[in-house]
Formats: sequence, structure tokens, C-alpha cells
Amino acid sequence: MPEPRPATREEIAVMARLAGLDLSPEHFEELVGAYANLEPMLWRLRRGRDRADEPAHVFDPRKFMPVDPGTGR
Amino acid sequence: MTSAVQPGSDAEAILDRGVRKIGHMLRAREVSASEIARACLARIRRHDGHLNSFITVTEERALARAAQADAELARGVDRGPFHGIPYALKDNVDTAGILSSSHSRIFADRVPAEDAEVARRLAEAGGVLVGKTATFEFAIGGPAWDLPWPPARNPWNRDYLPGGSSSGSGAAVGAGFVPGAVGTDTGGSVRWPAAMCGVAGLKPTYGRVSRRGIHPNTYSLDHAGPLTRTVEDCALMLGAMAGHDPRDPGSIDVPVEDYAAALTGDVRGLRIGLVRHWYASDGHPEVVDAVDAAVAVLRSLGAAVEEIVLDPLQDYVDAKTTLSVSELYAVHEADLKTRPGEFGRHLRTRVIGGALIRAEDYIQAQRWRTELVTRAMAHFRRFDLLVTAGWLAPADPADPDGADFFRKRLLVTMPFSLTGMPALVVPCGLSSGGLPLSLQIGGRPFDEARVLRAGDAYQRATAWHHARPVLP
Repeated sequence: MPEPRPATREEIAVMARLAGLDLSPEHFEELVGAYANLEPMLWRLRRGRDRADEPAHVFDPRKFMPVDPGTGR
Repeated sequence: MTSAVQPGSDAEAILDRGVRKIGHMLRAREVSASEIARACLARIRRHDGHLNSFITVTEERALARAAQADAELARGVDRGPFHGIPYALKDNVDTAGILSSSHSRIFADRVPAEDAEVARRLAEAGGVLVGKTATFEFAIGGPAWDLPWPPARNPWNRDYLPGGSSSGSGAAVGAGFVPGAVGTDTGGSVRWPAAMCGVAGLKPTYGRVSRRGIHPNTYSLDHAGPLTRTVEDCALMLGAMAGHDPRDPGSIDVPVEDYAAALTGDVRGLRIGLVRHWYASDGHPEVVDAVDAAVAVLRSLGAAVEEIVLDPLQDYVDAKTTLSVSELYAVHEADLKTRPGEFGRHLRTRVIGGALIRAEDYIQAQRWRTELVTRAMAHFRRFDLLVTAGWLAPADPADPDGADFFRKRLLVTMPFSLTGMPALVVPCGLSSGGLPLSLQIGGRPFDEARVLRAGDAYQRATAWHHARPVLP
């Protein structure tokens, strides 16, 4: 894997546009500052797991059954 | 407000005795719920102008509810340990007919039609709501000086912050305005203010207390829990809050124990894993000394304590923050796109980066969560409880230009957030500057009873929970 490099302002501007953000210059500066803090964190995320390793959130269809107003269950 | 209650009056003194003792006195007709409610309101009126712990004080409703509690007791209707007990709710908890602003300009006029489930349960248990407390904006963006309400201050020294995001709940309990308050906790937001304000704060197991009607922060990490003066009060308040809610998809149907009955004072034979490296390497020296001393107390009471090593704090913080920023952005996307200037700067800068996090990063963080949780839970083969610091430093100064502590300090509360374990913070000392220091006790999922038992045993052997701030 190549060494990650910080996104440039131009790249952040493109990502922001693709995400649907239309920010004032002041708020764009805030985004640049925020992303400078987030980016190293994203690089630190551990990857390379077995393909079958599941995420922590598990879908349980029983959770979405209608609730009986009488019994509350 | 009008009240006949005088400073230092009998009713105010009774207010400091805790939920169980107030309950005994109510049932013995030595004091009325109305007198207790008026004592709370008097204290709030006298001191909260310096602490900003409340956004809304519900005086009329509180007095009416207290009168109802008195009338019920008079005709033999007793709703249990929380009957007639005053409490506060964090302002991100919906309350029917009462402003529920989440401390944000976005919701500055929002009055819900329905109570959150936790508010409904506390009312059903006979509690007397006296008001809604300050928070970081939407439980993430603070402390902030650019919102419609000022940030809460620390009752031990108003030049310092009370932690957050349940900042007003911590300050209100620490100041003795109410015996208990509800906070919400995604990465430490019950436990941090509890630690900074010298009170007990419990993040129950994920799924133990309903989140329905509480404004979401991070769906996969959100909890609600009690802040109280003592662990015994925490047990009593949790008993009133907990229980399965089929309308909350995160709620888990596990029977609610009698938490107060579990407080035997006995920790002999309990096996405790001490996660010392989490606080020894990055903790303030006074925190290290205070937590080491607290662990020695648990040892002296007969607990078997052994030092263990878990994954580094940074790993938990990175996984949690990736999940939170992504989910927070999903929650606030519409408003961040259409009216970003109406949020405070702290919320914008903490959340807007979520727009740029890829779905792949979110999934990888969830997979990493699985790994971290599995490794942490494995320690419960050998141990009943995990113990570490409640927070790594005393309270921060209330400085609008101060460094962002989310970036300057690792959050020792986050491992318990990510794992969903119950975790209790109790005061275990005061810094040389007179600010509270704290111990954190975590346990197996849904083993709140044992966590509370250890915290209560510690409080029976020590006096830190009796320390009171001198209010401005």
C-alpha cells in the first residue's frame, strides 16, 4: 500500500461537492480543518480482515414487527 | 418563582439525604413531596444563575406533580422508590408540552407532543420533573458560547466546565439542585460530567434503557442513564428507567433486576481486572494516584484485583469516532446542507467531516468494533468487573478560546461505549485545585447489579461522595 498523503484543498472541495455540500468560504475552511483531524483516524482504521468477518451491527428482523397497542409487545 | 422555603431550611437539608431517605420521610409524613419540590426550586433560583445548568425550569408542572404525589400517598397509592422524588432531564429528551431544544438554535422552539419513553417511565414511577438541563448542542457540539443558551458551569468552581455532553445534568446533581438527573451517553456523556461534578453516573448496557424520544447522536452507540449523588440513588433511579421497549429497535428484552437489593456492601471474592495502562500513561498524575488509591480500597474490602492489558485507548477512540461522525452527519445532513450557520461552530466542525467519510470506512470501523468488543469481553472469563479511571484529568477551564479537549485527550470512557458494557463512575478524590476525580467500574452486559454493588461498597468505605461544593 502506498503511504497515504493528506487530501489537498482542491480534493476536499471536490469531495464536498460530490457529497452535496455547498459551503460558504468560512464553513469550507472549517471542513478543511475538520477533515485534517479525521483523515489520520481513517488511515489508522484496521483493515485486512477475513472476508467473512462481520460488522458489529447485526440486523434482527424481529425488532421491526408491529407492536400490539393493547399489550405493548 | 415563589416559595416559602428558606436557604438551609429543613426541606433543603432533607434534599441532600438521597432518594431512599427522602422516600422514607415522605412515607412517614415527615416531609411532603411539595416541600421537597419547593426546596429544589428555591436552590435552583438562588444558584443556577451562576451555573446555567437548566434551560427550562418547569416550576408549575413540578408543584402540580408533587401535589399529586402527596395526594396519592395520602390515599395509599405508592408508586415505589421514586415516588415524589424531584429529577431533571437532559434537554435532548422529549417532554410533551415542554421545550426540548437539544440546546440548539435549530430546535429553539421545539415542543414535542409526546414524552420520550424514559420520561414516561420516570413520571409513571412518581418522579417530579423540575426541569430540562443544558447539554452540548445535540449532545456533541460543545461547550459552546455561540448558542442560544450559555454552557453549564462546574458547581465546584464556576470558572471550570462540568464535562459533557450531559453538562447541565451533572452540574444540577453536583450542585444539589436535584437528587437525580437523566443524561445520555454515546462516548462518555453521562460519565464525564459525573466525573467532573463529583457524582455517580451510570451508562447502562446498550439496550437496557429505551432511547425512543431521545434525539439521536449515534444510533449504534446511544445510551441513557442516571446521574445521582450516590450509587444507591443510581440503583433506585435505574430501576425506574430500565426495561424493554418494543418500539426502540435497540432495546433488548432482559428482565430488570432489583438493583438496590443487590447493594450488599460485599465485594469479597469479586475478580477485578484493573486496566491501569489506560490511565497510567496519559492520565493526570493526581488521577493516577486517586484511582490507584481507590483500587487499594477495593482490594482491602476483599476483591481480587489483577492488572490486565486491553487494546490501546486510541483504537477504541478511532473506531468510535469514525462511527459517530458518520452517523451524526446522517442525522444532521439536511440542516448542515441548508442552514449550517444556525449550528454552533463546535457542532459544525465535529460533524461536517462526516460528509467525506466513505461507506467502506464506516463498515471497516464496524468490523473493527467487532474485534475490539470480542477481545474485551474475553476478559470476563476470568474477571467479574473491569476497573479504570473515570476521566483522565480534572475539569477543564471554561475558556471560549480553549483547546478542543476532544482532540487533546483520549476518552477513557469510550471502550465501554463501544463494547456496550455497563459502566459506572464514582468520585474517588479531589485534585489539589479542589476539583473531583473519579473511578470507573465496568461489567458484563446486563450485570448492572454487580457494577453498582462494587461502587456502593466503595462508597460505604469512603467519604468522597459526601463532599459538597460551596455554591456561588
